[in-house]
Amino acid sequence: MGLGLLASRALRSSSSRVLSTNPRYNLFRTIVSTPELHKPEAAAEAAAEPDLPKRTPVAGARVHFPNPDDVIEVFVDGYPVKIPKGMTVLQACSVAGVDIPRFCYHDRLSIAGNCRMCLVEVEKSPKPVASCAMPALPGMKIKTDTPIAKKAREGVMEFLLMNHPLDCPICDQGGECDLQDQSMAFGSDRGRFTETKRSVVDKNLGPLVKTVMTRCIQCTRCVRFASEIAGVQDLGMLGRGSGEEIGTYVEKLMTSELSGNVIDICPVGALTSKPFAFKARNWELKGTESIDVTDAVGSNIRIDSRGPEVMRIVPRLNEDINEEWISDKTRFCYDGLKRQRLSDPMIRGADGRFKPVSWRDALAVVAEVIHQIKPEEIVGVAGKLSDAESMMLLKDFLNKMGSNNVWCEGNGKNTDADLRSGYLLNSSIGGLEKADCFLLVGTQPRVEAAMVNARIRKTVRATQAKVGYIGPAADFNYDHQHLGTGPETLVAIADGGHPFSSTLASAKNPAIIVGAGIFEREDKDAIFSVLQSMAAKNENLIRPDWNGLNVLLLNAAQAAALDLGLVPESDNAIESAKFVYLMGADDVNLDKLPKDAFVVYQGHHGDNGVYRANVILPSAVFSEKEGIYENTEGCSQQTVPAVPTIGDAREDWKIIRALSEVSGVRLPYDTIHGVRSRIRTVAPNLLNLDEREPAAFSVSLKPESPKKVSKLPFGVMVDNFYMTDAITRASKIMAQCSAVLTKK
Amino acid sequence: MASVVKNILKSVREKGLVNFARELREEGFLNCLSDGNLLQTKIHNIGATVVGVDKFGNKYYEKLGDTQYGRHRWVEYASKDRYNASQVPPEWHGWLHFITDHTGDELLMLKPKRYGLDHKENFSGEGDEYIYHSKGHTLNPGQRDWTRYQSWQPTKTQ
Repeated sequence: MGLGLLASRALRSSSSRVLSTNPRYNLFRTIVSTPELHKPEAAAEAAAEPDLPKRTPVAGARVHFPNPDDVIEVFVDGYPVKIPKGMTVLQACSVAGVDIPRFCYHDRLSIAGNCRMCLVEVEKSPKPVASCAMPALPGMKIKTDTPIAKKAREGVMEFLLMNHPLDCPICDQGGECDLQDQSMAFGSDRGRFTETKRSVVDKNLGPLVKTVMTRCIQCTRCVRFASEIAGVQDLGMLGRGSGEEIGTYVEKLMTSELSGNVIDICPVGALTSKPFAFKARNWELKGTESIDVTDAVGSNIRIDSRGPEVMRIVPRLNEDINEEWISDKTRFCYDGLKRQRLSDPMIRGADGRFKPVSWRDALAVVAEVIHQIKPEEIVGVAGKLSDAESMMLLKDFLNKMGSNNVWCEGNGKNTDADLRSGYLLNSSIGGLEKADCFLLVGTQPRVEAAMVNARIRKTVRATQAKVGYIGPAADFNYDHQHLGTGPETLVAIADGGHPFSSTLASAKNPAIIVGAGIFEREDKDAIFSVLQSMAAKNENLIRPDWNGLNVLLLNAAQAAALDLGLVPESDNAIESAKFVYLMGADDVNLDKLPKDAFVVYQGHHGDNGVYRANVILPSAVFSEKEGIYENTEGCSQQTVPAVPTIGDAREDWKIIRALSEVSGVRLPYDTIHGVRSRIRTVAPNLLNLDEREPAAFSVSLKPESPKKVSKLPFGVMVDNFYMTDAITRASKIMAQCSAVLTKK
Repeated sequence: MASVVKNILKSVREKGLVNFARELREEGFLNCLSDGNLLQTKIHNIGATVVGVDKFGNKYYEKLGDTQYGRHRWVEYASKDRYNASQVPPEWHGWLHFITDHTGDELLMLKPKRYGLDHKENFSGEGDEYIYHSKGHTLNPGQRDWTRYQSWQPTKTQ
C-alpha cells in the first residue's frame, strides 16, 4: 500500500500540483510558469477538490447499491467514499483502496472481531476500533496510517507472536502465511517476551488436515467455517485466556466433504494439508489454472506442480460455481494422478497376458479388427472424465465406421439429448441462492455435487428456504423434510394432495432438482412429464427470469456428451456388440458382453476397464491435456496442461485421430483447433468458454409421456463420495478417507 | 652379507624348499628382480624394526640411529606389484609423514564410530566401477529414481 501510494503520488497530474507545499515540486515551479497568478479562478477550482492521488479499490472491489437512499459517505484517510449503509469500516476501507491487515475477518464467514489486527483510528473515538466489526456511520473519518493505528497493530502483532512458535523454517505454511507476511509489514523488529511459550496438544482431525495447534492464533475462522459453510458442528473453542484452544470437544474426526478448505482459510500453519506435509515449498510450485473433473460441478482449481509432478490442488475463485471452496475429493485426488497409470500401449497375447507394444502395432491391430466387424456391432463408450474434443472424435470415427452406438457413461438408455433444458441445472449454481424452496428428487447433492450442496446450504442458512427430499435415507447438513422414497411421492406433490405441494406453490422461486440417476430409470419420461405438469400448474416454477426445473448431473463429461449427441441408439447395444471401444469408461457393465467381443480400452488408469480389454491405449489425464468440459449448469470451461504426459501416453483426441488414419477413414482434424471447429458445427456453446449458456427452450415443450411412473424407489447413485472414478479410485488418500470417514 | 646367506639357509632348512620358495614369492622377493624400488625397500628393511601392520597388511618400518633423518620411517606395501601411496590408510599417514609420533594403531581410536568410512585406495584408471561418481552421475550405482508416477502392472487375471 505504501509503495503504491508513493508511486501514484509521483504520477500525479500537474494541475493539482501547483498548490502543493511539498518541496519536491519546487523543481517544477521553475519550469512551468505560475498559472495560479494568471488564472486565479482555475486555481480556486483546483483547491476545492481534495488534493489526493487516486486510489483503486482493493482486489477490484466493487460496490453494489441495492437502495440508492441507503448511500452514506465516509472518509478514509481523507478520501470521500460512497458505500451502502451497513457496510463495516473494513469494507469501506477496501472500497477506498486501503487494505486493512486482518486475521479473523473473512469475507464469507461471520464476523468474530477477536484478533484485533484490524484496529484503525476513527476521529472522535477515544480508542482505536476493530474495523471488521464496526459498522461505518455517515461522515465517519477513518484514519488507517496514523501513529495510533500503527502502534495498535504493532502491539497486537507482538501479543500474537508471544505464543507463536518460531517454526517458520519447518512450517508448511511458510511463504504463504498471513502471520509471516503481516509481521514483516506491521510487526516490531524485536520481541520483549522472555517467558516460556505455551504449547497445545495437536488434534487428530482425520487423514486430510494436519494440525499443529501450538501455532494457532485463535482466529476461529475454522470454527466458523465448519459450523457455517460445511455445516458440521465438529470444531469449537475450549478454555479461556492463555488456555484457549481450538478442538473437537471429544476425540473426533472432521467428517465433512469440505474439510480441506480449513487449510486455505487458516491464516497460520495450524491447519495444513496432511498429504502435502513437507513435500514442497509454495515458491517452488508452478500454478496452472484449470478445472476439476471429479464431479459435474467443474470447480475452478489451480494445479500446483513441481517438474513432472502434481504437488497439490487448491481452489480458484469463481463466484458462479465454487465461490472459493472445493470439495475434499477435488483437493486430494491428485495422488491418484501418479498411481496405476497406463504408460505404454499393450496387447493381450494368446496366453492372456498383456505385452507392451509400440503405438504402430497397437493401432494396426485395432484397425485390422474393426474392419472385420459389422458396423452395427461396433459400440463406443466415453468415460466419466472424457473431454468434449475426444468425445467428438470418438463419435465421428465410429460414425465413419458405420456405427452410431456411442454414448457416455452415466447417460443410460433413456437419456435424450433433444433439449438442453432436459439435462442441465437450469437455475445455475449461483442462481440457486435466489430459490426459496427446494425439492430434491432422487439426488443426494452432498455426495453427488458437494459444491452445489454448499450453495443450497448457504441459501437455506440465509433465507430459511424449505427443502424437501424424495429418495432413500441420506445425509444432509441442513434442515430438510424427507417426503418419501419413490416417484409416487412426486406424483402426490404434483397432484396437490401432499403437504409439501402448498409450500412449493407459495414459493416465489421454487427449485426442483432431479438427480442424474433418473437417466437409468425406465420411467424417466413419465417422471419428466410429472414435473412438466407441475410447471404447468405453478407459473413460478418456469418463467422468463427463473427456471426452477433442474437436473443435477454426476460426471464431468456428461453435459458435453449430451450436447454432442452421445446417446445410445439401441437398448441392448452391449449384449450384441463384437467390438467395444472404451474411452476411459470404467463403470460400464460388461458382464453381458459376448465372450468373443474385442475390447479396446483407451484410458489413463489401470482400473476396472482394462481387465476385459484386448488392447490398451494409454492416454492423458485432465492435468496433462487441454480439453473442454461442460459443467452441470451448462458452463463450458477448459483444462490446461500442468504437467507433461507420462511414458508413451498421448492425448485422447490424438489417439483417435491416429487410429482413424490407420483404419483408412482419416478424420480431417490435425490440430485441437481443427477439432474445435468441428465442435462449433455441432455444439457451438461448448466453445463459449467460462460463460454459462442457458438452455434455449424449457422442458415444457415436450409432449406428455403416456407411460406411468413405476413404484421402484429412487436409488443411490454415489455410494462412496471419495471414490467415484478412475483417478479417485487409484488415490491412496481417497482410499484412506473412505476407510476412515465414510459412515458404515 | 654372510649373515643374510646364513639366515636364508637356516629358514630353508626349517621350512623345506617348497615352503621357502612360496614364502619368497609371497613376500615379494621374486618381484625384486624386476622392481628396483621394492628391492631397495627390502635392503632397507634389514635391521629395521616393524612398528606396526595395518589392516591391509602394509608394514611400517622405522630405523633410528645411522639412518638419515627423514628417511627413517617407511612402508612396505602389502601389494607387491601394484602399490601406490594412496594405499596407506589415514591413521598411518600421520606417522609415516612425520606429522605425529603416534602410530596408526594408537590413532585408530580417533576414527569416528558412527559415520567413519573404510579407507579406499585411489582407483583411478582401474575401471569405472571402482571410481566414485557423484550422486546424480549416470555411473553412480545408487541412482535416484526420478520417475514420478507408478505404472500399472498387468497381472494375469481371468
